[in-house]
Amino acid sequence: MNTLVQIVLGGVLQGSIYALLALGFSLVFRVTGVINLAQGGFCTLGALLVYSMHVDWGMATLPSALIAMLVTTLLAAVVGRVAFVPGLSRLTNSNMLMMTAGVLTMFEGLVLVVWGSQPYALPPFSGERPWKLGSILIQPQGVWVIGVAGIIIVALGWMLMRTRLGQSLRACAENPMAARLVGVNVPRLQLFAFALAGAIGAVAGIVVAPAIALEFDTGRLLTISGFIAVAIGGIASFPGAIAGGLLLGLVNQLGTAYVSSLFSAALSLGLLLIVLIFRPAGLIRSGVVRRADVREEARVWAHVTRISSSNAWRWGGLAVLLALSAPFVLDDGLLGALIITLILFLTLIGQDMLMGYAGQISLGQAGFMALGGYTSSYLITAQDWNAVPAILAGMASSLVASLVLAAVTLRLRGLYMALATMAFGLLVDSCTVGFDDITGGPSGMVGIPSLSVQGFDFDTPARMYFLVLALVVLVLISVAGAMRAGFGRALLAIRTDPLAAAALGVNVVGCKMAAFAISALLASLSGSLYAFHFHFLSPEMVGAPRSLELVSMLIIGGEGTLIGPLFGAALITILPTLFQPLAIFKTLASGALLAGCALYLPQGIFGTLLRLVPQTKGRKPMAREQAA
Amino acid sequence: MSLELRNVSAGYGTGAVLHDISLRVAPGEIVTLIGANGAGKSTLAKTISGLMTPMSGEILWDGVPIHALPTALRLQRGIAHVPEGRQLFAGMRVEENLALGASICDQGRPGAGVLEEALRLFPVLAERMADTAGNFSGGQQQMLAIARGLRASPRLLILDEPSLGLSPKLVAEIFALIRFLRDRGLSILLAEQNARAALAVADRGAVIENGRIVMEGPAAVLLHAPDIAERYLGVGVAATADSGEVTRMAARLRACVWGDAGVAG
Repeated sequence: MNTLVQIVLGGVLQGSIYALLALGFSLVFRVTGVINLAQGGFCTLGALLVYSMHVDWGMATLPSALIAMLVTTLLAAVVGRVAFVPGLSRLTNSNMLMMTAGVLTMFEGLVLVVWGSQPYALPPFSGERPWKLGSILIQPQGVWVIGVAGIIIVALGWMLMRTRLGQSLRACAENPMAARLVGVNVPRLQLFAFALAGAIGAVAGIVVAPAIALEFDTGRLLTISGFIAVAIGGIASFPGAIAGGLLLGLVNQLGTAYVSSLFSAALSLGLLLIVLIFRPAGLIRSGVVRRADVREEARVWAHVTRISSSNAWRWGGLAVLLALSAPFVLDDGLLGALIITLILFLTLIGQDMLMGYAGQISLGQAGFMALGGYTSSYLITAQDWNAVPAILAGMASSLVASLVLAAVTLRLRGLYMALATMAFGLLVDSCTVGFDDITGGPSGMVGIPSLSVQGFDFDTPARMYFLVLALVVLVLISVAGAMRAGFGRALLAIRTDPLAAAALGVNVVGCKMAAFAISALLASLSGSLYAFHFHFLSPEMVGAPRSLELVSMLIIGGEGTLIGPLFGAALITILPTLFQPLAIFKTLASGALLAGCALYLPQGIFGTLLRLVPQTKGRKPMAREQAA
Repeated sequence: MSLELRNVSAGYGTGAVLHDISLRVAPGEIVTLIGANGAGKSTLAKTISGLMTPMSGEILWDGVPIHALPTALRLQRGIAHVPEGRQLFAGMRVEENLALGASICDQGRPGAGVLEEALRLFPVLAERMADTAGNFSGGQQQMLAIARGLRASPRLLILDEPSLGLSPKLVAEIFALIRFLRDRGLSILLAEQNARAALAVADRGAVIENGRIVMEGPAAVLLHAPDIAERYLGVGVAATADSGEVTRMAARLRACVWGDAGVAG
């Protein structure tokens, strides 16, 4: 009995933090209609600022907490003023999502540059001696967490329901156009909501910091937890956010106590997937019409410049010739980076088809890489299979997983689709960590041999390079062909308006499933090649952060251009190799690139390059309308 | 307080929807904009209230250019816009909707006090102050939308399709309200598809077609102009007008759907 109370208490404690995070999400979402993935970044920043002031400079906890909160809020206001609010009137929801992902990565990069990658632990505010309540032990920090969470929830609720400011905020949430008509300054309130969410994030980070080890990427974990909590509870309602947070905390703690700590994450992800499938709007629905529906319509209409078919062959041929000479001029380090770029590009071609053409946001593409990589590596190392059947088996497993995922998420669109795919990626993550007797657990799978087909070993970088290059060219030609034919047009139609597409006789379900399946197959193949190239595979190589990185590459390179992602992948993979001493700035730079591209280059680097090249007579760009 | 538009063009993206609109609304006057669906009535309303900025031309309010001002400042100067489709804060209570309407409130204008009188016309709003606006019927929502607009004590009220989707009895009530508001000194710009009712209540009218004002004049004259009657009032030579063009279009449509065989057959 005591243990149960203790566990439930732990659940409430963890849940309060999730609830605070979820509240920040909900606040920004309701006022702007956008999921702000940077939320977790505010937490780390606030907490580390306190650490520096309190531990390094010897300031007292309370003033340093206040200053840290102020600084974080100011930073949030700047980000909101420079990027977030201007983006709201120009970008689609999915591009806003990507932009906030970029801001999150920028925060991580900033933390990495300032504080480095080592973990920090803030001393608890009121000592470490647990308080006794009868026979139940309570950590003082837990009281702080629950107390602060409670105060913020009550204060926020009072502000929203009882003050003029709150009324205006709710008016923006209900109907931004009508709010403008009655004289509410909507952009200013959007900025206010964003900054307030930053303040809440900072406070959450500060109070939870003594209970966890803070690292530069803790923000990402907090973002994901808060996102899951708010999705379970219902994003459009504040009670939903709180309930979702508490529920997630309880499930986590109970799962850790009674099932296994390795699978507690899987349990909460399972909960999320079930909620998404059966009640996509969350457990607690708001009485209001869902905001997501209003904003799901693409707001940006841009032209993607196309290269004419003949020019594509000419330029493509030239590029291949250039690529073929690479092994003879580059050193091994650069060639290695080039191989990785090409391997990732395989995944990205499929992901571009899925996101750029069919408009299905996927934040879990690395999950398919993991499935392929681990399956084929396991079959080769432990079951002595040959490479080709092992790769095919890996692809089959990804295919099955993708079809199941596509089938259960068919009804989901936009944001919910993004969330479901992210949950899938995280689920694969927790399985690769959990099934440690097959996958080697967190430390990874070692001793994966080089790829060998019919006795021919691809054991030198040059051989591997030529193999991957051949595969990329083959896949690119077939996918580009399919995208220029009926299948590509059908996907574009689905992206623009699924109902209209269905009315025109497009098999919406079939096309979506096909796009999903093809992208999963390509990711799986690339995952296997990845493992063969490194002779090693660990969860962090093909985990959720990798999924986000893939999305960054796609957006930076240019969505819907097929070739563009190659530029994105090359930029993020090769540049750090070239400028080794500056590698610490990699995260910061890629975050800034992602946010900047989402904001200013909706067609990515490649799309913009195409537009800059003067239109000569031989090229006839086929402009097509699509939401970039 | 008079509103004057001089050669205003406006639109979405790079394409103009309104071309060279010039229009005047004198104090205490009801001017109605009539035109078909998509003619540009709502765009014009949005351009005047500041939801859209004109691409060229100017909007003068009492002789002062206001086309660069944000919506809030135009509202402060007395221009209120009751948009098409009512656009209430559906999840909020009636009193909250009304309170938000008074976000910018200036007592002592002709509009002040009008709300109280108007509420007397619609006792149902006063009775249901604590109810959620989204649960109201269409007619009640329209009343609330107008009441919310009045809450800012405007001098000019822009009403966009106030009769849309309402029963004939409610439409009559809305038009009675419009006349009442004019009698209390408000200027009213009324965008309506229900041209007959709009012209019956208005002092002057303007006809918009494809984003241009094609005809303008006293409402009584427009009401009896043969062109208007034919196109917007559904009387006159409707049956004979059908003959040539409609048949040709039907044939073209058939050709599109069935190919050339349809034309032959």
